[in-house]
Amino acid sequence: MKTLSSALVLKYFFVLLATGVVLYPLIWMTTMAFKPYPEWTTVSGLSWLPLNPTLQNFEFIFYGKAEGLVVSLDRTIAGPLTASLITSIFGTIIAVVFGTLSSYAVVRFGLAQSLPLSVLQLRLFPPLAVMIPVMVMWAFIGAVDTWWGLSLIYGIVTLPFAFWLMKTFFEEVPIEIEDAARVCGCSYWRVFYKIALPIVKPGLATCALFVFILNWSDYLLALLLTQKEWVTLPVYMATLTSAMGGQMYGMKAALGVIAAIPPVVFGLMIQKHLVRGLTFGALKQ
Amino acid sequence: MSDKTANRKPTGYWSQVARDGKRMGWWFILPTVLLLLFIVVFPLLMQVYLSLTWWTPLDGIPWYRAYEGFIWFEQYGVLLSDGRFWGAIWRTLFFMLVAVPIEFLLGLGLAYLFIDNFPGRKIFYSILLTPMMVVPAVVGLMFFLLFQGTGPINDNLGLPATFSWLTDVNRAMIAVIIADIWQWTPLMFLILLAGMLGVPPDQLLAAKLLGGSNWQNFFKIILPRIKTVVIIVIVLRSVESFKVFDLIYIMTKGGPGVQTQTISIYLYKLTFGDLEWAYVAAIGLTILFVLSVIAARGLSYMARKRS
Repeated sequence: MKTLSSALVLKYFFVLLATGVVLYPLIWMTTMAFKPYPEWTTVSGLSWLPLNPTLQNFEFIFYGKAEGLVVSLDRTIAGPLTASLITSIFGTIIAVVFGTLSSYAVVRFGLAQSLPLSVLQLRLFPPLAVMIPVMVMWAFIGAVDTWWGLSLIYGIVTLPFAFWLMKTFFEEVPIEIEDAARVCGCSYWRVFYKIALPIVKPGLATCALFVFILNWSDYLLALLLTQKEWVTLPVYMATLTSAMGGQMYGMKAALGVIAAIPPVVFGLMIQKHLVRGLTFGALKQ
Repeated sequence: MSDKTANRKPTGYWSQVARDGKRMGWWFILPTVLLLLFIVVFPLLMQVYLSLTWWTPLDGIPWYRAYEGFIWFEQYGVLLSDGRFWGAIWRTLFFMLVAVPIEFLLGLGLAYLFIDNFPGRKIFYSILLTPMMVVPAVVGLMFFLLFQGTGPINDNLGLPATFSWLTDVNRAMIAVIIADIWQWTPLMFLILLAGMLGVPPDQLLAAKLLGGSNWQNFFKIILPRIKTVVIIVIVLRSVESFKVFDLIYIMTKGGPGVQTQTISIYLYKLTFGDLEWAYVAAIGLTILFVLSVIAARGLSYMARKRS
């Protein structure tokens, strides 16, 4: 019974190997989140599954203290989690609204043909090379460590993605439909609002999720533009060590798991459109 | 596409209508243009201005009075002889030139395996895409945990706990490159696979029937057909890896010493450690200028190729 060809066996070998490599760090961090202190290292033997599973790490970051732990935390996850959510959501709204409107005008009316490339330029430079004036400006207008200051910069840096994604979605709307409506006496605004927008609705949702993932994944901008009140999840996760003096592997892992879940879930939801989003619409799947 | 509307010349009643449409179009564009002016023009002018001074927020002098410390191009002279700057540039390029080709080759190989359907393809596909969706800072944390002396990697490899990765002069860079490869090979895989699936299957079939081996098919048919895709992914990843910060900062903070100090990390340390904002502005402008020149050259090259 020779059902498996040697080529297929080889293929499975490589695919399984790659899967193993992908899962290795993910599993280590996830199980770490449920391990008590003695199992954080391999000093007393390596174990992939928690020998004594515990929710102590999560308890600690949510309540600031946990049973059996001497140390306590002056800042729980509540603040950073809220900050991450609020700034990511508002940043997404800014990027998607601005990107949708301007890309529609570029696609439908042939206006501002240099806009697509100028927008794209925003993504070319390392943020740190251009952040000094932004930090000075943000300090000047009192936007440092505020929810709107961080949301604004998120909206700006993810605008190129929103713009280019929506551009490709609008390009797929048949112009005949819009023309027909116009002949029937619809104003341009009504054509946009009642016809074009509903047609690209799935695209709009994809775009919003994609931009949200990018905003949620930011570490650097929050590091530069927040201090205390609006510190986001990744920044909070990274500072957990220095604040406590010791290495809180388990707690960090718990935070990492929490921070990693939304983008992975959303990313798998929009899997079909990832190529389009990541290549600024240059490629479609 | 957009030319369809742009090139249509409306007359009479319709020209009036089209004008109304354009007017609304400008209103649609206005917010984005204002936002771009706000974040590009003014900051750029300020950056040029600050880079010609020795202003630092430590002085207590507000930025608009930075002219009190006007020193023309001295900061740029400092930059030329700044060994730490050139070291950081070199390390960034090293990081990029090692990580991106490996990611590309691994992604290419994996994508090739996924052209044909096989049982479980969909599930494996989803799993293999996960790394690039994980927050980069969290990836940094994961590999920070893995590469501890008492972490699972040493244990699996049978190395003693004293064998250090992140605090070792040579191995720290290897460790951060491995983390980067782990996170971004999936992106290469995803995009290259999309390109390969765009190659007409009958072409491959025909080549196979004519007796072409898998290798020949791959190099003679698939690779030439996905050339644009290859350029796109490599440019995309090169730009992004030049910016690398989160991953390295969380894993090593640029250490040990300056062994993993890429340009972004060097700038970060200058910004917050030394508070030399004028100098950072000068370095930033230089990078901005060089990257713009490269981008313009690249774009004109592509335009020439297309015509």
